[in-house]
Amino acid sequence: MKVIINSKEYQGLPGETLMELAKRNNVDIPNLCHKDGIEGQGRCRLCMVEVREGKKTKIVSSCVYPIRDGLEVVTNSEKIIAIRKNIILLLLLKTPNNDYIKSLAEEYGVKAPDRYVDYKVKENCILCGLCVKACEKMGTSAISLINRGTTKKVSTPYDDPSKDCIGCGACAEVCPTNAITMTDKNRIRTIWNKEFKLVKCSVCGKTFTTDEALQFIESKLGKKEERICDSCRKKIISEKFKESFKYF
Amino acid sequence: MKIDNSIDYNQLSNILNKYKQEKRFTLAILQDIQTEFNYIPKEAVFHLAEYLNIPVSEIYSMATFYKALSLTPKGKHIIKVCNGTACHIRGSNILIDEIKDLLKIKPGETTADGLFSLEIVNCLGACALAPVMVIDNKYYGAMTKEKIMEVINEYKEAAYD
Ligand code: SF4
Ligand code: FES
Repeated sequence: MKVIINSKEYQGLPGETLMELAKRNNVDIPNLCHKDGIEGQGRCRLCMVEVREGKKTKIVSSCVYPIRDGLEVVTNSEKIIAIRKNIILLLLLKTPNNDYIKSLAEEYGVKAPDRYVDYKVKENCILCGLCVKACEKMGTSAISLINRGTTKKVSTPYDDPSKDCIGCGACAEVCPTNAITMTDKNRIRTIWNKEFKLVKCSVCGKTFTTDEALQFIESKLGKKEERICDSCRKKIISEKFKESFKYF
Repeated sequence: MKIDNSIDYNQLSNILNKYKQEKRFTLAILQDIQTEFNYIPKEAVFHLAEYLNIPVSEIYSMATFYKALSLTPKGKHIIKVCNGTACHIRGSNILIDEIKDLLKIKPGETTADGLFSLEIVNCLGACALAPVMVIDNKYYGAMTKEKIMEVINEYKEAAYD
């Protein structure tokens, strides 16, 4: 499948979305609600691009747009840049104090007219829904999008500590705007109004996950997991790798 | 009249038993719960999650999304005042203010005795009767400040006699 992006030809894979194709080929399309491994949601609309078909063009969200053979795509036309700026402006008005959104605005030269901005607003969430998806992928689904319209937010049911939350921190990890507060202090992790016991890595001694998360994984796998953090695990694997090549 | 916060599990089971344990019935069940209990009790949300084997967060998300579902008990009588264009022009705001004064509640709230809830809606499709108010399923057209007092008193008398 041939797809042309900004006059260059790329080979598309069946079932791919435009965003996936672009990412795979290092073509930059700005986005907020897309993460590898999570299907496109089409929420933030920052990934809009122009698709040309004959004489007609249309504007589509690349993260949810399936590619077709012969598709012609432009990712940075004047029209697209104008749309992007508008979206960034609206986000800036919603979260005027968020560092990431501010840097995005700076990158695109977007300034919000002072009389429209309420600098007291502490909101950081742009309602991209990534955290909810990440929690769903973990198999926990402890958080969801609640209410609608201007009061929409992400939280646990009734804002209570959730029985389903395992304190894995996947939500905080994927959040593009750092909107989820998670604190690790004195071997206790606090997130979504719930406290968890942190577990230490048996190799380096740093805390790396919660007791509840480990138990959850073990119950899914049906076997015990070693208490080893990600970076130590990688080190161990690379050591083993070196060992096995010593004799070549 | 007192608002009862504990729920009758038999009543809930009767609703659940009408449906198969499939996710697609979530909204239908929630609607039945709303009709039966006048709101969606917290216990019912957790119970339903278990029954359908879906996350509590998903049901909570749905229950907070639809306007027809309420997490707090609704009054015995629901007063809907239309604030659509025609009613707005014919002074629906005066009606809303009058009801707020009379019942000491804001739109979306329920009186302390649980008798009335006040809701503002956008067009009831009866513009010729503007301004319109609906209590339960009864329409009151061409409402005035004075008539509102009368109507509300009727319901109060019926409840406390
Ligand atoms: S908390 Fe973060 S990840 Fe979750 S919806 Fe808001 S911005 Fe997105
Ligand atoms: S990345 Fe496509 S809509 Fe957000």
